[in-house]
Amino acid sequence: MLSRQRLLTALCLLAIVVMLVPACGGTPTPAPTATTAPKPAEPTKAPVAPTAVPTQAPLPTLPPTQAPSKVLGPPTKDVFLDVGKQVPFTFLINSSPWYAGFEAVVKLYEKQTGNTVNLEVSPYAGMLEKARNSVRGKESPFDIVNLDTQNTVEFYSGGFLMPIKEIDPNFKLDPAVSTYDDCLYWNEKTQWRDKDGILYGLPVQGNLNVYYYRADLFEKAGLKVPETWDEMVAAAEKLGKSPDIYGMVVRGEKGNGIRFDFMSYMLGVGGSIEKDAAHGDFTVTINSPQVKKALDFYVSLAKKYGPPNSGAISQNDMVQLMSTGKAVQLNMVTAAWPNMDDPSKSQVVGKVNVSVIPRPADGVFATPIGNWVAGIPKNVPPERQKAALAFMKWYLTYEAQYRFVEAGGIPPVRTDVYDSDLAQKPANRWMAAYKKSLPYAKQVLGYKEGAQVEAILGLRLNQALIGELSTGKALNLAAEEIYKVFKDNGRKTDMLPKLPE
Amino acid sequence: MQQPDTASRRSPLAWLDSTFQYWALAPAVLLFAVLTLYPVANLLRMSVSTIDFAKGEFVWTFAGAKNLLTLADDWLFRIALRNTLSFVAAAVVLEMVLGFLLALVASQVTAGSGVYRTILVIPILVPAVAIGCMWKLMYNYEFGIINQILTALRLPGQAWLADVNMAMPAVILVDVWHWVPFVFLILLAGLESLPVEVLEAASVDGANGWQRLWHVIMPLVWPTFSVALMFRTIFAFKVFDEVFLLTSGGPGTSTEVVSLYIYQVFFSENRMGYGALLSIVTIAIISLFVIVYRRTGRSEV
Repeated sequence: MLSRQRLLTALCLLAIVVMLVPACGGTPTPAPTATTAPKPAEPTKAPVAPTAVPTQAPLPTLPPTQAPSKVLGPPTKDVFLDVGKQVPFTFLINSSPWYAGFEAVVKLYEKQTGNTVNLEVSPYAGMLEKARNSVRGKESPFDIVNLDTQNTVEFYSGGFLMPIKEIDPNFKLDPAVSTYDDCLYWNEKTQWRDKDGILYGLPVQGNLNVYYYRADLFEKAGLKVPETWDEMVAAAEKLGKSPDIYGMVVRGEKGNGIRFDFMSYMLGVGGSIEKDAAHGDFTVTINSPQVKKALDFYVSLAKKYGPPNSGAISQNDMVQLMSTGKAVQLNMVTAAWPNMDDPSKSQVVGKVNVSVIPRPADGVFATPIGNWVAGIPKNVPPERQKAALAFMKWYLTYEAQYRFVEAGGIPPVRTDVYDSDLAQKPANRWMAAYKKSLPYAKQVLGYKEGAQVEAILGLRLNQALIGELSTGKALNLAAEEIYKVFKDNGRKTDMLPKLPE
Repeated sequence: MQQPDTASRRSPLAWLDSTFQYWALAPAVLLFAVLTLYPVANLLRMSVSTIDFAKGEFVWTFAGAKNLLTLADDWLFRIALRNTLSFVAAAVVLEMVLGFLLALVASQVTAGSGVYRTILVIPILVPAVAIGCMWKLMYNYEFGIINQILTALRLPGQAWLADVNMAMPAVILVDVWHWVPFVFLILLAGLESLPVEVLEAASVDGANGWQRLWHVIMPLVWPTFSVALMFRTIFAFKVFDEVFLLTSGGPGTSTEVVSLYIYQVFFSENRMGYGALLSIVTIAIISLFVIVYRRTGRSEV
């Protein structure tokens, strides 16, 4: 019989094991097929009902991929742009997947010009606070702050950034540089980001959502790349039968995740959050029948073809599922591309391709923009403002953007880079889809209440996805709450009739 | 010969002497006022204002009771408060019980005590961000080690962080794993400082193990126990890291907690005035806890 001492010692050892096992990390490696959690058995159900065949004007189709009239080659100049001698300056930049490309071109800039750029690299979480603290202080420690597009309105309207033309009156934005739905400008009169406003920002990276799919599976099954929701569902039905792969994955995580992911569905049906915010009409339209149709479709995709934890899937999870071969198709940011062909991260090297996000049969192509914008704070000495702008001028040249892509930077902000020989390389097969998606890309939430509206939508959409609320109720509640936000801020606003719940 | 006026010559010194304790405390009080009272006063000022920005400058506008009216209407804050109280009740009770049991066991095991006591406190040495990342991986539906073990046992994997009924227990489990060693350390120190003679006397008087525990050990260790309870309650009420990293308050509102909501309002939505009011309400609630615990913690043996 165990003595009391021995029993107590055994209990202590057990406690140690319990404490230590999680502390050892339990870091998973992608498990072989046989040991992954099995997909829960689904009763046989009819696929999502196809949308009605339209009878009106011809529907939008994607233009065929055409070779450019002139294929641009690699840079030939030793110095891409003569910016002169500049003082050292500091760039606040996020450590995103494309950072390696950015760092490489910064080093190239320093080598070519002899100027010094200090990089303050920050994870995404914390970037906004660093930028805010810097512009609100007496003197900013950062001479360029990199801003997520959804945060630019706060900085533009708050008067924190220097108009580019006040630093250099002769500055002109090259027509080949994308303005991403004019998010670089701020019109004080209309309180909107439009081209009639002042140029405050310069693009650093131009993320869009695109459609990722397993090209090898599609080819094997004889399926063409989907252009419509019906074709997407057909692919999910046919290719998602195996328990080890999901026919379709959505980014259902509460907050920015689901809000951003749902935008292409909402915009595709012609839906919107507000009626015409660009012209001051903030009538709430999120609870329109079209948006409900989009949300019903979105929820059904997740329930029928997605993993059981769709309501918690983050962008990282999406990358993981696609790169480990557990997803047939999903919509994701272009910047995630490097994970697909990296042999150290991907089990599907060479098997994934991207295309324009499919549209509803009677709808339009659409994708949300999630780009990054560089702003130069006002509270920075003039010589550092000049140095910062000099770097950005150099950075926005064709040559620098070419080198950015070569070094793993995705996607570049100049459209002519998509006509270069880089687009012909198999590793850059994402470029054709990105270029085709650009005309359909839209900014949303371009007003100061954007963060509040996103929080509301991020919660209500998630509640609809996990089944806590019906889609009608979720949209009605979202509409009421958004209406209150607009009303409290003195906007001209109204509401649509409630949807059936 | 006139006597010297000794009273008046001593009075400044006497005055200094009699007020010396205040002068000695003054630097500490000043520091406290600057670091605590001033920020709280500023917070109070913010709570009755709306704060915007124009031309790079702060624009303070007195809002009166507007933020209070917003609070009265704020259903999400009520849910966050309810979730936080549930979290505190569940997590703290588990941590105190497990920490106390562990301390009881550890106080009676002598062999290798240095080693196992060191190992047992590892969870509180790991940074909160690392804990969040680690457990998020473990809870991963596809590749997490927990689901892999379940699958190996022919049990279905669970969507730990995506199920509204499981997300909060999953977060509580992480918190318990993280903070039981803290309670263990405090209570172990309390148990080891108990007078041995009292315990021996109880044994001599014929008390069995349970009677010794309930009638002798518990009353003696209660002051230490209540300190640990107070600390854990305050820290649990302010929980942020685990929830932010594991669930971001989801799915739905199932793990929405007060600190996370304040972060959302103050930092994400940039509503500083309303965020300040929420902070003051939170301070008030925690202060109430502290007052209650201090009163119940006073017991005489």
